[in-house]
Amino acid sequence: MKKYITIILTGILLAVSSCDSDFEKINTDPNRAGGNVFDPNLILPTVSFNYGNMMTGYSGAILFQSMWVQLMASTSTGGANYYSNADKYLASGSTNSYIQSVWNDGFSAASRVYQMQALAEQKGLSNLVAVGEIWKVLTLSFVSDVYGDIPYSEALQAESGITQPKYDSQSELYMAMLSDLEGALTSINASGDQIKNDVLFRGDLTKWKKLGYSIMLRMAMRLVDVDPTTAKSYVQKAIAGGVFASPADEAVLVSDQANGYSNSSANALNVTDDVYEVRWSNKLIDYLKSNNDPRLSIIAEIPLAGLAANKGTAVGNNSPSAQIGLPNGYDLRGGATDITKAPNYPGSTGTSGDVSPIGKYSRPTAIYRDRDAPVFILTYAEIQFLLADAAARGYAVPSSASAYYAAGLEGAMTSIAKFGGGTISASEASAYASANPLDTSNATASLKMINTQIWATTGIFANFVEAWNNWKRSGYPELTPVNYSGNFSSGQIPRRQLYPASESTTNPVGLANGISSMGGDTWINNVWWDVDN
Amino acid sequence: MKKILSIAFALGFMLCAVHIAIGQDRVLKGVVTAATDGLPMPGVTILDKSSKTGTTTNVDGEYSLSVSPNSVLVFSFIGFASQEITVGNRSELNVLLEEDASELSEVVVTALGITKDKETLGYSVTEVGGESLSAARENNIANSLAGRVAGLVVKGTNSGPGGTSKITLRGLPSISGTGSPLYVINGIPMDNTQRGSAGQWGGADSGDGIGNLSPDDIETMTVLKGQAASALYGSRASNGVILITTKKGAKGGDWSLNYTMNYIADNAVDFTDFQQEYGQGTGGIKPVTAADAQSTGRLARGPRLDGSSVIGYDGNQYPYSPTNDRYIDFYRTGSNFTNTVSVSKGLGADGSFRMSVSNLDSRSIVPNSGMDRLSINLNVDQNITDKLSVTAMVNYIDQKSTNVPNLSDGPKNPNNFLLLAPNISQSIFAPGYNTDTGAEAVFSDDIYVTNPYFIVNQGINDVGRKRTISAISTKYSFTKDIFAMIRLGNDASTDDFFSIDPYGLAYTANLQGNLNARGQSQRTELNIDGILGGKFDLTDKINLDLLAGANMRNNKFESVGVGGNRFVIPYLYSPFNVENFSRSYGFNEREVQSAYYSVGIGYNNILTLTTTGRYDVYSTLPTDNNSIFSPSVAAAFVFSELMNSSLLDFGKFRASYAVTSGEPFDAYQSTFYYNSANSYNGVPAGSSPTSLPNLNLKPFTTSEVELGFDLSFLKNRLTFDVAYYQKETHNEIMRAGYSITSGFNSAVVATGSTSNKGIEVLVSGTPVQTVNFMWKTSFNLSNVKNEILSTDPNNNPVNLGQNRATLGNAVTAYVVGEAGPQIRAYDYAYNTDGSIKVSEAGLPVRGELINMGTVLPTLYGGWNNEFNYKGIMFSFLIDYNYGNKVLSATEFYSTFRGLNQVTLEGRESGVINGGVTAPAERYYQALAQNITSTSVVDGDFIKLRQLTLGYSFPSKWFGNTPIMKGLSVSLVGRNIGFLMRKAKNIDPEASFGSNINYTGIEGQNLPSTRSFGFNLNFKLN
Repeated sequence: MKKYITIILTGILLAVSSCDSDFEKINTDPNRAGGNVFDPNLILPTVSFNYGNMMTGYSGAILFQSMWVQLMASTSTGGANYYSNADKYLASGSTNSYIQSVWNDGFSAASRVYQMQALAEQKGLSNLVAVGEIWKVLTLSFVSDVYGDIPYSEALQAESGITQPKYDSQSELYMAMLSDLEGALTSINASGDQIKNDVLFRGDLTKWKKLGYSIMLRMAMRLVDVDPTTAKSYVQKAIAGGVFASPADEAVLVSDQANGYSNSSANALNVTDDVYEVRWSNKLIDYLKSNNDPRLSIIAEIPLAGLAANKGTAVGNNSPSAQIGLPNGYDLRGGATDITKAPNYPGSTGTSGDVSPIGKYSRPTAIYRDRDAPVFILTYAEIQFLLADAAARGYAVPSSASAYYAAGLEGAMTSIAKFGGGTISASEASAYASANPLDTSNATASLKMINTQIWATTGIFANFVEAWNNWKRSGYPELTPVNYSGNFSSGQIPRRQLYPASESTTNPVGLANGISSMGGDTWINNVWWDVDN
Repeated sequence: MKKILSIAFALGFMLCAVHIAIGQDRVLKGVVTAATDGLPMPGVTILDKSSKTGTTTNVDGEYSLSVSPNSVLVFSFIGFASQEITVGNRSELNVLLEEDASELSEVVVTALGITKDKETLGYSVTEVGGESLSAARENNIANSLAGRVAGLVVKGTNSGPGGTSKITLRGLPSISGTGSPLYVINGIPMDNTQRGSAGQWGGADSGDGIGNLSPDDIETMTVLKGQAASALYGSRASNGVILITTKKGAKGGDWSLNYTMNYIADNAVDFTDFQQEYGQGTGGIKPVTAADAQSTGRLARGPRLDGSSVIGYDGNQYPYSPTNDRYIDFYRTGSNFTNTVSVSKGLGADGSFRMSVSNLDSRSIVPNSGMDRLSINLNVDQNITDKLSVTAMVNYIDQKSTNVPNLSDGPKNPNNFLLLAPNISQSIFAPGYNTDTGAEAVFSDDIYVTNPYFIVNQGINDVGRKRTISAISTKYSFTKDIFAMIRLGNDASTDDFFSIDPYGLAYTANLQGNLNARGQSQRTELNIDGILGGKFDLTDKINLDLLAGANMRNNKFESVGVGGNRFVIPYLYSPFNVENFSRSYGFNEREVQSAYYSVGIGYNNILTLTTTGRYDVYSTLPTDNNSIFSPSVAAAFVFSELMNSSLLDFGKFRASYAVTSGEPFDAYQSTFYYNSANSYNGVPAGSSPTSLPNLNLKPFTTSEVELGFDLSFLKNRLTFDVAYYQKETHNEIMRAGYSITSGFNSAVVATGSTSNKGIEVLVSGTPVQTVNFMWKTSFNLSNVKNEILSTDPNNNPVNLGQNRATLGNAVTAYVVGEAGPQIRAYDYAYNTDGSIKVSEAGLPVRGELINMGTVLPTLYGGWNNEFNYKGIMFSFLIDYNYGNKVLSATEFYSTFRGLNQVTLEGRESGVINGGVTAPAERYYQALAQNITSTSVVDGDFIKLRQLTLGYSFPSKWFGNTPIMKGLSVSLVGRNIGFLMRKAKNIDPEASFGSNINYTGIEGQNLPSTRSFGFNLNFKLN
């Protein structure tokens, strides 16, 4: 019997001694890299795409802001009822999901930036840290403009144990972001590390600085009503630092659909029911027509006659005179709000069995369905218009409001070529700008004209959230809200998005304080800088 | 004493045993009694060696058998020495059987496949015979355990054939979401990875591992519920262990050839009780345009159905009256047709083999969807020398599921007709697409809610699996009682998958569709065990049972796939025909190395003390903290040996304490990694993780105390098995949801802790026992109280699942201090006088997020009955389930859309609250959206789970046929109906995902089915 016990013990010893020799190797993921070998510059393209994706498509912009500010319109009857969120402020089955997209996309992008910066700091890449800071401020200011108070000072630091960051009031976080942005911009050193893997500016640090100061300018101009002193101060700093000086400087992100980096708005607008149900609003078409705007024939077309053609993408009639915008707030339900009851209803197109009741309304042209279309993150035109706005307000800026306005118009006209569709030559643009000078009869007239143009230009560049933010800031254009039965915003145009439901579980105290500081969590309470004029 | 246990063990088999006797010269009768006490012995097997026919004794020990004068009968019974007697010219033969001291009394399979005398066990073990799983079968055999084992909860999935089954043992054993028991087949752990599963955003159920097994190959399933029972399995035992023993040939046996045909038809059952008074429309107005008819097809907010005419989504006119062509008529009768041939033979006295080939042809209730499964099973058992023996098992499975349906969310889900307004016929949406253009006929207000006809006619979502489970075991016996064993098990499966968004699918860009995935994945689990064991008698009364061993387990997964967007040439679903192209590759590997021992000391069959220990080293943990030792102790005290009661035949008290350990849910959770991404315009790109890894992980532990007793009265006519347990899991490793504002949307945390306390009672009895009629019954009951002790480091609720309807406004979550998973939903807001708070418009105002109850039952069990009258066997199984809640999407949608009966109140006059009248449509939509607690329903039910009616034809019928030697027939029914259910519009058991995250969430899954069929068993030799 002793013999067997010896055998047993030997067996155990043999078994135990063979343990864990190669466990470290087994537990190493062969598909991913550790921080020691990973170049943080690689994160830049991902962050660029994340930002572009956040501001376009179903992330919210098309399903909310595009029609809230009446750039687009939809009857939202039939298969694409989700456009009721935009056109009629009416919840659809997925509203709870849509409201969180910007939040989730924005903070995910910011988290990647943060990780990129952390690695860059370890590796002494200070310019990459600064470029990261520009992205971070751009991204989180976008999120804050949509929701209001958000975590900033404590955000992104789960690794350090802060898993439930406090919500900063927007007034605090705007100051912090402006200050962080300024610090990053001054730290950029031309002889420092090279920015690599940069799909936006190909590593051109001077362009990054111009983008940074342009962001600073736009953020500063958000504050003109709520904190004019800070606004003026940062406008000065931005101009001193150097904002976009020509369309060549602007931040226009190319897309690359073949590799999965498509333009998200184009992805959305290629869905058959979206092709059919998304139209330009009469507000925009009337504005462009009344100004003989040459962009009209590039952006709008009347589809070929009939329901099938309206659901198809065959090129339609882009003659400016034929364009008619769809009024917001109508449906196809045969009741009082049926589109056929709309004033000046132009009639249907097509013949029996193939009739489109909305066939005579303008829809976006093919450039908006091109998945390789660029994303206009921040343009020269916008910056010039904001400078015009500053000048009209009497801020100390180097040039006049009308000069900035004209430059903005020229930029808006020529940059439309970047879509890859119709173009407007520099001379045409310049002629148009001369023919449509800024009304400088009084500041109000100027501001109205400048900001209505910002609305149209950002809308045409498919930057609907910016059009909406600038409308919140400036009050232009003056819009009549749709008041459709059962809407979620008491018949008013929404001024913010609701906080994501998940925050009540994952960060309950932060959320409660945020809501309390915001004065509620509704579609119509104002963010801090959105002061009623 | 031993005899009584043996009799109990054999009774079950006896009832189902085939009564076969070839028509021969005459009938021999007799009684078999036990030599020790002279009492008759039921269940004794009597085999005629020459004719290969046989029978078993009835409850009074009597038998009758057709014999010839040359017949040599073998009388055998577990625990007794077999006797061979030549019949001669006798017409009566009474036999006395002697106890065989060398045989164990009642043996059960325990951990590591070691058989043990049941009376020495200090913990609870429940065995379920294969025959109760195979006649009225489920495609996933795990579902067949429902109601049969105390402490066991089965949650199947309403996903069609090939669906997943989730078993939880003793409450909520693990909160990491992977809490499935370990399945062990013939001593070898098998892979039970749950493949794809539906969540709130849709997806399809690609099945699990246990569902691949053929019920015809299973001899028994043994459920080890407690930690002490499963402690020797270490890491994966914390959720319990289910041991599967496959059928084997008998050593020394002759040819046996069996053919079984089983056919089960499934019929979809409509559980809804929606209103039939008001039809399609909104605002009390029926649609007047085709576009509006499309938008309001799922909105029953029109005027009263009056038999008038109404426009349809296609522009045609239809009667505005309730239709008989309801959503349920979209489904066809499903069928499951199994053919199994098995052959077995003894290879002399030293070996045996059994081989079976089985084919299952399963047609889902969803048109054009189904599953084919071929199983080949081989068991070989051979004594090579007196001391060396080898057993081998190979189980090959080739399974192919066609068009596995998406569930839950709208896209590509064929279950989208449920909410049609009562006047709309489902068949008007066929064939679901324009036959000229191929474009989907969008039938509702949302293109992301796919037309069911379109997806069943055009979709492809195929999952194939080729799997080989093999186990080879070599045992060398140094002496009769001392052995060494090496066991090698390999479970390798290759899955292939092919899934598309078909051409014409409305929400795909320009209707061009997408190639979601085409590829293969491989999964292997390799186990190598070395075991030394021995039994030693130290004195006459004290014996030792020793065992030591080591195990190495390695799991590997690798997958390669291609995909792409937008097919260029319509209907050519090839990766070469896409506008852009994507690839995927996945890999992970895990290994555990372990050593274990078991020491048992027995005193005179009265007291047995057993201790085990296991030392595990995990590859998935940081190397400086990757090992743990987990012990167990168990005691069994057979107090009846010290008594001399005529009433109490057997009484045992048992007590145990055990610890098991566990590892992370996946490899690579303890290191910070960065990944590469597709190049962007030629620029290489990469990314950082969105889930925060945990650099300080260590193994988690589950500890359990179990007390219980076994009692047997009235000569085994009444038995009790009662257990009380108290179990806690600490430092469980799981993924916790973080606010994305923290930089990560989830994190790997090691702070989960849960406790389960419960009582399990099993009462079995034989109330009636006569020569011609017997009634056996068993009732089991479990009561469990689960409490989540801690969750993430902040002790915030950890959200698990939502449904698509209520999204984040009603969730299941682990909430500290509550039973998990808990449904959390918004209550009404109340005024100070307790009345419901309404807005100025009279709409209900959302109040607090409240805990509504757990999704797992707190009181549950089953009642099984078997009746045997002159060979006609009738059985039924009722199971019951109390104390759980269901988050119901059907309830939400039907309220929101005006289909639910509750929406009839105030429909025309408006709903009045607080003196304010709100239009009913607005009111009920606000109710569903704001007060999500109204979508939570009671899960309580009592169900008639199974019925069988069987008969074995007397063997004399086949006397002159050259081939057929026996035939038994049974008619079977499964999931026959509810005797009680509290939920009005749903099957409270229905679910789209078996993952713990989606347990207790219902909606947009396949309807539940009621199944009837038959089982034919032909004995051919």
